[in-house]
Amino acid sequence: MTATTGTATPVRTTADVVERVREAVARATPLRIVGRGGWLDAGHPVRAAHVLALDGLTGIVDYTPGDLTLTARAGTPLAEIARATMAERQWLALDPFGSPHGTLGATVATASAGPLAHAFGTPRDNVLGLEAVTGDARVIRGGGRVVKNVAGFDLTRLLTGSWGTLGVITEVTVRLRALPEVEESWAIATPDDPPTLDALLARLRTASVAPLAAELLNPALAARLALGDRPVLLLRLGANAESVRAQREQVAMLGDARPAPSEVWSALRECEPPGAAVLRCSALPSRLPETWALACRSTHAVPDALLHASVGRGIVRCIIPPGALTLGDAIRALRAFDGTVIAERLPAEHWFPSKSDPVRDRLARDVARAFDPHRVLNPGILELAP
Amino acid sequence: MNRDALVAALREIVGARGVLTRPSELLAYSADGLPTYRKVPPLAVFPGSREELIRVVRLLAAEHHPFVPRGAGTGLSAGALAEGDAVVIGLNRLTQILSIDPVNRLAVVEPGAVNLTLTRAATPYGLHYAPDPSSQSACTIGGNVAENSGGPHCLKYGVTLNHVVAITAILASGELVTLGNAAGESEGYDLLGAFIGSEGCFGIAVDVTVRLTPNPEAVRTMLADFTSIEAGARATSAIIASGIVPAALEMMDGPTIRAVEASIYAAGYPADADAVLLIELDGLAAGLDADVRLVERLCRDAGARDVRIARDEAERARLWQGRKKAFGAMGRVAPDLVVQDAVIPRTRLPDVLRTIHAIAERWGIQVCNVFHAGDGNLHPNIGFDSRNADEADRVHHAMREIMRACVEAGGTITGEHGVGLDKLEYMPLIFSPDSLDAQCRLRTVFDPERRANPGKVVPVHACREWTMAPAARASRVEVA
Repeated sequence: MTATTGTATPVRTTADVVERVREAVARATPLRIVGRGGWLDAGHPVRAAHVLALDGLTGIVDYTPGDLTLTARAGTPLAEIARATMAERQWLALDPFGSPHGTLGATVATASAGPLAHAFGTPRDNVLGLEAVTGDARVIRGGGRVVKNVAGFDLTRLLTGSWGTLGVITEVTVRLRALPEVEESWAIATPDDPPTLDALLARLRTASVAPLAAELLNPALAARLALGDRPVLLLRLGANAESVRAQREQVAMLGDARPAPSEVWSALRECEPPGAAVLRCSALPSRLPETWALACRSTHAVPDALLHASVGRGIVRCIIPPGALTLGDAIRALRAFDGTVIAERLPAEHWFPSKSDPVRDRLARDVARAFDPHRVLNPGILELAP
Repeated sequence: MNRDALVAALREIVGARGVLTRPSELLAYSADGLPTYRKVPPLAVFPGSREELIRVVRLLAAEHHPFVPRGAGTGLSAGALAEGDAVVIGLNRLTQILSIDPVNRLAVVEPGAVNLTLTRAATPYGLHYAPDPSSQSACTIGGNVAENSGGPHCLKYGVTLNHVVAITAILASGELVTLGNAAGESEGYDLLGAFIGSEGCFGIAVDVTVRLTPNPEAVRTMLADFTSIEAGARATSAIIASGIVPAALEMMDGPTIRAVEASIYAAGYPADADAVLLIELDGLAAGLDADVRLVERLCRDAGARDVRIARDEAERARLWQGRKKAFGAMGRVAPDLVVQDAVIPRTRLPDVLRTIHAIAERWGIQVCNVFHAGDGNLHPNIGFDSRNADEADRVHHAMREIMRACVEAGGTITGEHGVGLDKLEYMPLIFSPDSLDAQCRLRTVFDPERRANPGKVVPVHACREWTMAPAARASRVEVA
């Protein structure tokens, strides 16, 4: 059963969340926790009768530009944070796929990252502290508002990426960075065969270039972003003017490079059609050409499959438009990969279990039991056996 | 199993020389650099291989016997001390670098591998291991994982957490588990993130896969000197706010400068300055000098008398030696040295440093400040004579006041040394009973019997279940 019932009264404070969790425990009615509810609905079957939406729990609580840190309530949209920080020429360097109206809390709860992870890491590298309400309605805090902190066991890392199953994240403190003085993007026409792609990526690794993001796009995705109809390697450069000028010269030596508009990155973030199935395959970055070839092969029968790869991180992301009759075949082919295959979003009937390991699975179950003893928070979303 | 039988069983695994039992032999394992805590452990065992380590932990599991994992013992928080009948498991013999993958920039190492040794092994590939605690010539990767260690260069490159991609751990139960994923994305809870910084309470790393970082194309090391700490703090805030992320941004105050300059580590710091900033910028060569010019201007605007840029590698090494050996240099000034560790928001540096100065004056003690200014990670150090009870008492009071001042400024009680025993009393200053209880619950998941490094990190008496339920408390034996 998936969640259907809406929220009776909107949640505005941490105390409201505590109240809602307490009710859920008392009535044994589990909660489906969502940010704005329109983003990152993973499609994974959650057995919950009620929705706890955090889109009313918004606002920046503390922003001291000189400290490069910001604290906001979980329901605050990333776009609002971007607006506030832009005014100080700073940014939160997280660009998860989906709409910029997605919330900070959802980004952290799902540990969602985008192309900028190449240079700035994922949420675990950017979250300094958080507040959450556990499944037994207690308010806990991990970390703090400083950029370096080893006090106590790391609840912040534990809650980040826990998909709401250990606690409802209510507030997050993040590390900010200064916006680069100059930014520009380049699209390099890219060979399709693995050996030549391998050679290009090897040259990129040793060139005097430090891109903020490096994404390989398949022809369908390149076309959608108006970058031609061949595979391209999209690079985002950002630094002071002198550095960017020198890096541009290096990029030109990598191949047929053409300037790309800066909007290409937001277009990439939002390229997936509603209801698409999304899977990620990952392995060592040195194997990227092989991973890429496998993803291309596995989806070749799907019309308009959009593929892109974070080349420095060895991750290929496959977006399969809704209604593709060959989705099942594509999933089967992708799952034959000997690396890691993660389903980001799938129709419920196609969901598959993640790799199991007896000790790790037991630790995961025990953690879930310790933080959500009554199993009221997003039960089923991580598919932990009871 | 009595002590003799345990010793015999351990010797069976690691050989006669791998177990120390005499107090004279165990003295070296009675402290971790913090003079205020000393405890000779009852027993120390030194496995010589991965298999021996696994067998030792499994033996202790079968006996429900507590243990304390120990690397080089440079942690400075009394975290590696064994209390009660806990056995020290010394990891100093597991020093191998098992593999280096220069293309993917990964290395797999044993827990006792020394931090600097790893960087040296990576040097032929143009790579290094980025976290560089001041103790890097002695401290081990396993210890770094336990403490989530930082170092001067973590300002730009991040701490241990950001550089470890996978760990094979042995839990106190004797079970082996792989946390994280070295070859792709990780699924499920971030148990790797939880393990890093768990101060030996969640188990022992059997091997660690770390990320190696390409050596920067160019490096510029600068020394700016100031006639007041406040001016140095203002310069720090201005540099951070400018958006330039230096590779390192370290401050030393007047007393530290003079201690360094009077020692064999003299680095050529101006002896009459009240503060120096050691600033390192690195990255691609193109554009780096533009950043150097901006940093220089910001320092001069904040009141720097002089800004010097190291002309060559020798001068750069000398400037860094003074910083890295500052603690050693201070050792000459007083018989004992307490090295503190706290973090504050960077905009609060000027006023918190002023407060620390006032606290030191009030208690009649000498504080030397040498610290990671760019992170707001303070290291106020107090030299004293522990044989003088009155002085030791004043030092203790001053330390408590300094910690409170840092917490009140929005900071935290430790940035890289860990809680250990030393910071237990401060944990309730920054965590509520419910948050401490959640930490206890997390520990119990990894180690239900709480036998791994018992008594450290979380003050059990401050957890909610402990304070709220005295009846329950009386009915059970608490070992954590």
